[in-house]
Amino acid sequence: MLEYDVLIVGAGGAGLYAALWASQNPKIKVGVMSKVYPVRSHTGAAEGGINAALANVAEDHPEKHAFDTVKGSDYLADQDAVGIMTKLAPEIIYDIEHRGVPFSRLPDGRIAQRPFGGASFPRTCYAADRTGLVILHTLYDQTLKQGVEFLNEWFLLNIIHNGERVLGVTALDIKEGGVHFIKAKAVIVATGGHARMYWNRTSNALGNTGDGTAAALRVGLPLKDMEFVQFHPTGLRKTGILITEGARGEGGYLINKDGERFMKKYAPEKMELAPRDIVARSIEKEILEGRGCGPEGDYICLDLRHLGEKKLMERLPQTVEHARVYEGVDPVKEPIPIRPTAHYSMGGIDTDKYGLTEIKGLYAAGEAACISVHGANRLGGNSLLDILVFGKIAAEHAAEYVIGVEHLPTDGMGYVKREEEFIKSLMDKEPKENLSRMRREMGDIMTSKVGIFREEGPMKEALNEIRELKERAKAGLAVVDKSKRFNINLVQTLEFLNLLDLAEVTTLCAIERRESRGAHYRLDYPQRNDENFLKHSIIRRKEDGTLQHGWKDVVITKWQPQERKY
Amino acid sequence: MSQEKIILKVYRYNPEVDEKPHYREYEVPSEGIQTLLDALFYIQENLDPTLSFRFFCRAAVCGSCAMKVNGISRLACKTPFKNLVERANGRPITVEPLNFLSVIKDLVVDHDKPFDNLKQLQIWCEPKQPIPKKEYRISPEEVKEYERPTNCILCFACYGSCEAVMDDPKYAGPFAFSRVFRYLLDSRVDEDHKRQMVKNAMEVGDIWGCVQCQKCIYVCPKGVRPAEDIQNIRGKAAEYGFKEYPGVKKLQHFVDWVYATGQINRLALPEEVYGVDPTPLINKFKERGAEVWEVPKPLSGLLEFRDLILEVMKEKKPHLDIDFRHVRRIDKKVEEVFNTDVCTKVFQQFEERREDFFSRFWKKISEFFGAH
Repeated sequence: MLEYDVLIVGAGGAGLYAALWASQNPKIKVGVMSKVYPVRSHTGAAEGGINAALANVAEDHPEKHAFDTVKGSDYLADQDAVGIMTKLAPEIIYDIEHRGVPFSRLPDGRIAQRPFGGASFPRTCYAADRTGLVILHTLYDQTLKQGVEFLNEWFLLNIIHNGERVLGVTALDIKEGGVHFIKAKAVIVATGGHARMYWNRTSNALGNTGDGTAAALRVGLPLKDMEFVQFHPTGLRKTGILITEGARGEGGYLINKDGERFMKKYAPEKMELAPRDIVARSIEKEILEGRGCGPEGDYICLDLRHLGEKKLMERLPQTVEHARVYEGVDPVKEPIPIRPTAHYSMGGIDTDKYGLTEIKGLYAAGEAACISVHGANRLGGNSLLDILVFGKIAAEHAAEYVIGVEHLPTDGMGYVKREEEFIKSLMDKEPKENLSRMRREMGDIMTSKVGIFREEGPMKEALNEIRELKERAKAGLAVVDKSKRFNINLVQTLEFLNLLDLAEVTTLCAIERRESRGAHYRLDYPQRNDENFLKHSIIRRKEDGTLQHGWKDVVITKWQPQERKY
Repeated sequence: MSQEKIILKVYRYNPEVDEKPHYREYEVPSEGIQTLLDALFYIQENLDPTLSFRFFCRAAVCGSCAMKVNGISRLACKTPFKNLVERANGRPITVEPLNFLSVIKDLVVDHDKPFDNLKQLQIWCEPKQPIPKKEYRISPEEVKEYERPTNCILCFACYGSCEAVMDDPKYAGPFAFSRVFRYLLDSRVDEDHKRQMVKNAMEVGDIWGCVQCQKCIYVCPKGVRPAEDIQNIRGKAAEYGFKEYPGVKKLQHFVDWVYATGQINRLALPEEVYGVDPTPLINKFKERGAEVWEVPKPLSGLLEFRDLILEVMKEKKPHLDIDFRHVRRIDKKVEEVFNTDVCTKVFQQFEERREDFFSRFWKKISEFFGAH
């Protein structure tokens, strides 16, 4: 049986950085399990940058970074956690710089910083427009140096705990096809976000299906702020593939069909660099009110032409490549057709500021977790920071915890048998449903009814429809491929079931939040309502399978909520 | 009107049940599909859910979906389907797993080995001491130098196209050497570790096995140029003084013999590089009546030519210096064989044809050193 002191599930930025810190102590046995090879993780798709008040370009201070983050979160972020993150930020940047991350530089050799949405100073460190890629690869190289043990292409099935302590996880070895119990004194869930529930309109990788978050929900753990899903303003029209905020940071314009820089109506001061929720809503509003571009009027244009070919190729090479390959448009010569795309899950597994859940030894970090530092809306450049800061903190906490405890006695055979039976039941079922069709249905429901603009009626419909999908899946969604090895049909079915569970709780929490805050915008409650809703929403599944919704106080230390203007 | 279709001929192999690999043909619409990856999804969703292939980001950053399309390694998500259809001209499009990696199922190959090569070659940053309190100061120009190799997404398209990998399974692969070179260029990396990486590249990764076929450059979906990086690492090996390796010995042979005689000496190569005595070979040639020159015939104007080489070397700063003791030995041999004095006789002959000499040799020298 596989046995680790600390098992990290997920090998993106949070997972790898956690692995580096947990394995600092050579006595602690650390394992990293991921359903893909580490460098495939979606951290690699992060483009624009990572925030830290280094003050290399303009005067800055972690305190100002904290305030911008809290304001950007529409005051829903926990201010103590935000304080930890922004204070640690410079130290974390220097650490990964010493490990070899090739940041872009100022002429004097210090790390360059660019302006980003919602920030009062140029604070975003970057490596052209592939910041996440170079961070992910550099961290991977460092894990090789440190001799971290990997289980690549293993899929998380369930988290096993006894109500008090975590025992380990069950997992599917995708390559060989077997189910295993992996024993662990501590488990750090770093499985990323779940915006794939908006299937057709998301910037996420095909595998960003919230496997860890759904597993936490299944075993009775609370999820927090699940209604908050960030729509990134600039996804490519056809595919939802991301065009970085850096494109606007470098001076790109958003224009409607009249050639108007419409952001002047919505955020006269910050214009294109207002926070993402505001820009996304403005774009969607322009489209809905008939000022969209193209014959169908269904997109807005991101104009980068005035930046010139030289600057584009130097600062935004990947943007140019994406526009050319996936949209067939050359940004040097034409504006890029864009539309908001589901991008980031602010919500996730409820943890304290150390990433700890209510089960001893069970941690969550990164996009899978909700600590919360992003509240109702995450600022660009804060997610790469979040994954590193809280990956490290969770790892250090877990490493300390495992020293003092023994493994719980179990051979895990019972858990393995249960999973094998479940997989068998999926294969034995008579196939009546088509996975890809159901996935599209889910995406359409979520995009049209639980998307950028929300309203009670349609959301209640959505809740019913998602529940119907769940019933249909239960009755007739079968795994058609019966082979053991590399059965992607099985993996994708499990991923879809995870997404369905998370879509259900997202919709339910969105219905319950009868106000507008950050990324959650209610047409029927267009104002923020601090009196009733300056609270985190909490949802958990009870043993009888029903969902229980509640609220939890927001930690406010310095900054009382104000109206959010840009 | 019925939609135009095109046939995708896809490699299928499930080692659990299939005795050997086979191909299956699928009809997919030739229009309305954006990339090859989308075409595979079309098959999976509409025709055959048992087809296995890797995918993740579908935006050319994760490196999951490299495969062989009509014989060439490509990233499926970055290959416009329209182009494939146009070029196919009605013929089927063949889709196969990457070469040289064992097939797990269908288009999925085992990536463990190339990933493990990164570890075996110890390709990572070992920070130079002392580590600064803040960031290391690095010029924007330096960052620019390793921009290209840091674009690598480890998709292994290059590995599956590599002539050296085909010949020698120990060869680490083009991607690995680009990553080595990326850290060699980085001023933050400790010098001893740089030496170690170069040593590993030779001993563990067989870097001298590269035949410079340049296929890696051609297939890389991210514009990385591994073959060039490999040349540069070889140069670094010489610069670091790793003289005991055959590749470096060969370089030394080139530099010394070209300086000494104006050309390389194939007959001396085996002995100088591998310590193999060439006499049996020379005797074989002679037995069969071939004319054998143990050293190249001295060029006219040799001394002037040597001055030019020294000038060029000063300018271009090559990785290897001329070994003058070696040159002296070569001179002696030449004098013995041709019964002539290299220093005076050859010089006199040169004086007679000065003009001609300049135009021919400036060109040749520049070509030779320009490549390094």
